[in-house]
Amino acid sequence: MGAECYYEVSQIAYIKLVLHALKHRSAAVNGLLLGRLRQDGGATATVEIADTVPLSHSQIGLLPALELALIQIEEHFEAQGLSVVGYYHANERHDDVELGNAAKKIGDHIFRYFPRAALDNKKLERMQPSKSRDPVVQLYTRDSSKSWRQTGSDGSNQLTLKEPAANVVLLDYISSEKWQEIVDFDDHLDDISKDWLNPGLFN
Amino acid sequence: MTRLDPPQQALSSFVSSFTLFSPAEERFAGDRVRMVRAEEAARLDRLESQVENGGGGASEYLCLVGKLKARRSDKVLKHGLSILNDPKARSKLGGEEWTLYEQVAFAAMDCQQHDVAKDCIAILSKEFPGSTRVGRLEGLLLEAKGAWAEAEKAYERLLEDNPLDQLIHKRKVAIAKAQGDLSSAVNLLNKYLEIFMADHDAWRELAEIYMSLQMYKQAAFCYEELILSQPTVPPYHLAYAEASGLVLYTIGGLENLQTAKKYYASTITLTGGKNTRALYGVCLCSIAINQLTKGRNKEEKDGSNLQSLAAEALQRDYKERAPKKLPLVISMLKNMKLNS
Repeated sequence: MGAECYYEVSQIAYIKLVLHALKHRSAAVNGLLLGRLRQDGGATATVEIADTVPLSHSQIGLLPALELALIQIEEHFEAQGLSVVGYYHANERHDDVELGNAAKKIGDHIFRYFPRAALDNKKLERMQPSKSRDPVVQLYTRDSSKSWRQTGSDGSNQLTLKEPAANVVLLDYISSEKWQEIVDFDDHLDDISKDWLNPGLFN
Repeated sequence: MTRLDPPQQALSSFVSSFTLFSPAEERFAGDRVRMVRAEEAARLDRLESQVENGGGGASEYLCLVGKLKARRSDKVLKHGLSILNDPKARSKLGGEEWTLYEQVAFAAMDCQQHDVAKDCIAILSKEFPGSTRVGRLEGLLLEAKGAWAEAEKAYERLLEDNPLDQLIHKRKVAIAKAQGDLSSAVNLLNKYLEIFMADHDAWRELAEIYMSLQMYKQAAFCYEELILSQPTVPPYHLAYAEASGLVLYTIGGLENLQTAKKYYASTITLTGGKNTRALYGVCLCSIAINQLTKGRNKEEKDGSNLQSLAAEALQRDYKERAPKKLPLVISMLKNMKLNS
């Protein structure tokens, strides 16, 4: 992508994905990023990541479940003008921050539909009780050589949190063990009465 | 509050080998077992809140935690220690005192309280000098501290006197896994299974590792072994179907899809049509099979009613239990051309 592209994560999206990772501490987790592209005028554009749908916490490589989820999720969010803009993934071992093959494959799949797709890889180490504005995720985008590269390594800050106080709110939810309530698509398949939209999570 | 670090990861592997509950086992608990577990789990929760609120019943609670292999380390640590630190309560336990020390040692390790674990192990070591069981605990503590090389040495020493100790062999696998050395873990597990081929826990663990390495054919082989030895356990059929479907994506082959569909179908039979994943699985397989057989002879096409029955079952289920999602599902099935 020649032009600069920024990625902005909303508080809801950010918190949901961190809570998802915390709920399943010993497994790899993944999910989809929903959002829209906003032309800021000139050559810059921002991908607003407005929401996330947690997908699974066990067998990450399962493409069939992904297909199912993609179809239903896209249909649902179309009405709100949102589409799938990316994917997030947290590895099983917290010191493993490599972007795994499964994640890359899924990223490629999404890329076909949305060229500015973002891949979030979480490096959730010990959450410091800091009130920093930086998100605890790593952003990857796909460059013209079809490989996923980490952004921000050259010092630029392409990924920002939309609401600066998001980390504070997140810490609050963590201490109240809010992560128990998160439902992902996997949970839904085990019990369809559980809703992967997580309505009422933030009430 | 963090994600598990490698030593805690290690404890998760084969933790059912000791007295704690392994994630792999949870995933495969059959429905009936799950139901029984649900009742007992409810009882466990009731006991837990009773104890937490000062209503007594701590030893009963701890016993049940051990029996169910539930992973509730912070509570076990708290209540276990209060009993052990109280001479009167301790003497009431009689011989059970030592099992409690062991249980508390595990809980302490899981909660990163290594000193507490060390103390418990020291007490057990004094009471049972030279015991292999205590030796394993010492090894586990080294694992919990992330001292992999020392833990391995400790286990090697124990294996010299106990070459057929299954739990120790499995700890070596857990160490490899925690260090991210999956190919070693696979090798160790394969060697282990040559000797202990009836160990279902190990077959499941090996299958999961293969799946994470995207070696689906090998994973499928493990599930075949499990189905052969326990043919009426639905989760094995389901896992085999999923693995076969994935073999398709990597190696291709219509027969893999047909195998997948067959085992989704057997899962449906074994679960009385209640398994959502299997119902979806049948639908997805049918579309894929139809796509692959486009233009081929009619005989090669899959002519059964299975997919429309599965689609109907899904819609009924959603109507009853998740009506808000029903429109999405109907629309999805329509797109998949399974809704007539």
